[in-house]
Amino acid sequence: MKNDRKVTFLLITIPILALFVCFNTIPLIRGVIYSFTNFRGYGSYDWVGLRNYIDLFSDARVGKSYLFTFKLAIVTTIVVNVVSLLLALCLNSKIRAKSFFRGAYFLPNVLGSLVVGYIFNYFFTYILPAIGSMIGSEALSTSILSRTGTAWIGISIVCAWQSIAMNTIIYISGLQTVPEDVYEAGGLDGATGWKQFRYLTFPLIIPFFSINMVLCVKNFLMVFDQIVALTQGGPAQSTESISYLIYNNGMSGGQFGFQSANAVVFFIVIVVISVTQMRITSSKEEQL
Amino acid sequence: MKIRHKSNWGAMTVLILGLSTIIFPLYMTVVIAFKQPSEMTNSISGILSLPASWSLQNFKEAMEITDFWHSLFNSLKITVLTVVLAVVLHSLMGYALGRNKKSSKFYNFVYLFIVSGMFVPFAILMMPLAKQTAEMGLDNWFGVVLLYVVFYMPMNIMLYSGYLVNIPIALEEAARVDGASTWRTYWTIIFPIMRPMHATVAVLTALSVWNDVMTPLVIMAGSDENTLPLAQLNFQSQFGTNYNLAFASYLLALIPILIFYVICQKQILNGVVNGAVK
Amino acid sequence: MKPERGKRARRSLGLVAAGVVLAGFSLTGCGGSTESEKTVIEIVQYKPEAADYFEALEDEFNATHDDIELKISSPNDASTILKTRFIREDYPDIIGIGGDINYSYYVDAGILADVSDYEGLADVNEGYLEILENLEFVPVDGTYGVPYVANAAGILYNVDLFEEYGWEIPTTWDELIALCEEISSEGILPFYFGYKDTWTCLAPWNAIAVSLCDADVTKQVNRGETTFTKEYRETAEKYLALLQYGEDGPFAYGYNDACTAFARGQSAMYMIGSYAAPQILSVNPDMNLGSFVLPANDDADGNTLNSGIDLMFCVTEACENKEAAYEVLDFLMENENIQQYIDDQTAIPCKNGDFTLSPILDGMADYIESGNMTDFQDHYYPSEMSVDAMLQTFLIEQDVDAFLADFDTDWQRYNRDIIRMVQDYEASRE
Repeated sequence: MKNDRKVTFLLITIPILALFVCFNTIPLIRGVIYSFTNFRGYGSYDWVGLRNYIDLFSDARVGKSYLFTFKLAIVTTIVVNVVSLLLALCLNSKIRAKSFFRGAYFLPNVLGSLVVGYIFNYFFTYILPAIGSMIGSEALSTSILSRTGTAWIGISIVCAWQSIAMNTIIYISGLQTVPEDVYEAGGLDGATGWKQFRYLTFPLIIPFFSINMVLCVKNFLMVFDQIVALTQGGPAQSTESISYLIYNNGMSGGQFGFQSANAVVFFIVIVVISVTQMRITSSKEEQL
Repeated sequence: MKIRHKSNWGAMTVLILGLSTIIFPLYMTVVIAFKQPSEMTNSISGILSLPASWSLQNFKEAMEITDFWHSLFNSLKITVLTVVLAVVLHSLMGYALGRNKKSSKFYNFVYLFIVSGMFVPFAILMMPLAKQTAEMGLDNWFGVVLLYVVFYMPMNIMLYSGYLVNIPIALEEAARVDGASTWRTYWTIIFPIMRPMHATVAVLTALSVWNDVMTPLVIMAGSDENTLPLAQLNFQSQFGTNYNLAFASYLLALIPILIFYVICQKQILNGVVNGAVK
Repeated sequence: MKPERGKRARRSLGLVAAGVVLAGFSLTGCGGSTESEKTVIEIVQYKPEAADYFEALEDEFNATHDDIELKISSPNDASTILKTRFIREDYPDIIGIGGDINYSYYVDAGILADVSDYEGLADVNEGYLEILENLEFVPVDGTYGVPYVANAAGILYNVDLFEEYGWEIPTTWDELIALCEEISSEGILPFYFGYKDTWTCLAPWNAIAVSLCDADVTKQVNRGETTFTKEYRETAEKYLALLQYGEDGPFAYGYNDACTAFARGQSAMYMIGSYAAPQILSVNPDMNLGSFVLPANDDADGNTLNSGIDLMFCVTEACENKEAAYEVLDFLMENENIQQYIDDQTAIPCKNGDFTLSPILDGMADYIESGNMTDFQDHYYPSEMSVDAMLQTFLIEQDVDAFLADFDTDWQRYNRDIIRMVQDYEASRE
């Protein structure tokens, strides 16, 4: 019987793993090979050895994009997780019109990026400054997207607005795994409110917290759509994210080889961060 | 009971306040979708005002430009097949990895290997995938589905194996004592128990697939087939975008996925686990 | 009983996995299975705004030709689509692209076929064929594209406002500045910039540079004969000088805002190309729109119209039936079809002949007729260098020296391989 279990698991794992390797690992390896060339995406190319990698570390634009991207990712990840956990708890409690609220909070995730881009551009360009000058706030009286110091905040707001829906869904489904009797037992011990959350609920949804952290870090480190929709890297190249550079210069431009090198380094960086993160959180998980 | 009541009102207040951040953009989308390009201005009162007439002309025109029913059919075909494959294959894989990654180095490695795949920037995969799918004869909608199954595998496997952490192994052991094979146990006990997670995975996968432009653009380039997001690209060009038609079209495209979500979210809620554990 | 079930289960599991993979391969046969005697000519062209026009042409062509089936697609993201098709070696027969650096790359990569034997070339304006030749990194024998239409950039203006105040069209730089002062003194905004979208930063830059620099500055730099610090200084200074005549905080507003504002009479002029006319008129269909050349030079005779190839057709090397392709080109080049295109898109024909230009272009007509036109500088810039973004940075930081120095360093960095190719070529000639 024990053997049956092992064989079944292997038979599940191997074909699916093969599919994954075929469409993820193999193209990645091809991409890595391109990173040692000056390939433009078509036509002939030459081997350039480590030139792309050496250039990468001396390119101020790439360095700047790393700083911007990490700043954005860290802040947005924190905001999104706090807000969506709060929302999930609210949406999971006994409230009126539950379906309506769940539906409504799902909407930001469905609107296409053209719509989101237009509306938030309008909001930041016209509406927010109008509010700013109404309340006499100097800082808000011009569009926050037009200043190099504040443009990232605008992008962070839109990223958070769009992705809170998804993270909330994940937290809600996490909350379903918390057995009722845990609360009942906790209620007897006098655990309520914050204490109930901190000592009873949260430990049980750690796997979902971990998933959300990883997904957030991934989504925001790879931020692209929002940049295209809101700033196109401006003002003064202050909001060029790493993915934006990779796509814009590698795919649309003729720097495919160089940006492949950028992508390879970036990939390694995110894997290291995320695997560390998962190690930390998974050590706190408990199998029921 | 008393405690529950108290937090209700707190929750309601938070939710209603938060709602304003959604109502406002939605209002703008609807209003713009009904306006004519000549009604567009740069003044706040102008953009927030109601359209001159509530004619459905924009929607009609948007449907013509995107060849709506045809594109919708393609989008549905791709989305439905991806979701079905994702629920079947990813749950199996999530089960195999989730149950073994704590005890086996091999499974733990496979788990981390696949999850790491999530972090590969799509831009580096694009060219090689375009070439590879063409070589394999997969430069069509089915190739797109296969790629989605691979792209969303990391996230879904994380979700499934995370969910399994809270499902006691004792359940399976009981079945095993009764003589059921692992395969059978999975389909009769584990798969049904994961229903809320199936719904979550279905929603998240469907949503990402529904809105994705890049994969079909690159893989299906040159075929005459369009998905809805691809067809919607027709509204924008560098030198001129018809926001009114575009917004109308996006509102139309939003409806199917919203309906799907409303259906699924009831499943997410069903809290089968609680009953089963007892 | 039980072990058997386990086996069957395993088998069906294997089947699922195999099925997934096999189903994929079995679809292989789908492409190209419909065989017919007709020669199929496929065109992919990069101007989605002209999709309706090309659809109508496609129908008309197919209705009148029995031996050739024409398929034209006008995808939105044509450059991505073309690149992915090139990497798959799945080439369309004809591609419709702009006369910019992508054309240079395609010629260099040997993707395009020599069309110098195409008779229609004889009717094409010499000036545009020269522009094509200039776009080649190093001179290559032959012609690789058939220029179709051109666009022109300069200043669009609100004719009614100008008539109301009696403002004159400027012909020199000093007159332009005087005009801006005069317009400002009436409490009207001279320009609306919309510099939030980085690409709009390029429009005035190009229009100023053509009248102040040689058309082939970039090539001179590639050959190591001069630097941008030297060549672009005046352009940069004048470009910056205009900034004060626009809206407050121009980096908050994009192209779309600028078109709307200009259409609504919020500014008297807009430094942009003829391509913006449809968008402006969509907001205000009754607007009386005019145009003139941006007079960047201090000498009226030194000014030239900023005009480049907006759309040309190139036959690919992979095209199997060049004759059929030429027949399609003949059809596209028919006068009435070109006239239709330039009416729709406010474009300028590249073909010699009797065409009626849009009245919006009246102010530029003299330059067009006399052939006093110079290609856009940015057609020679590699897109990954992001000169548009550099210009936006320059306008924010307003440091001419730093901008020019960066331009030179970045140019060397982003064009390394091209510069080496050019210098190898020069060396081989000596």
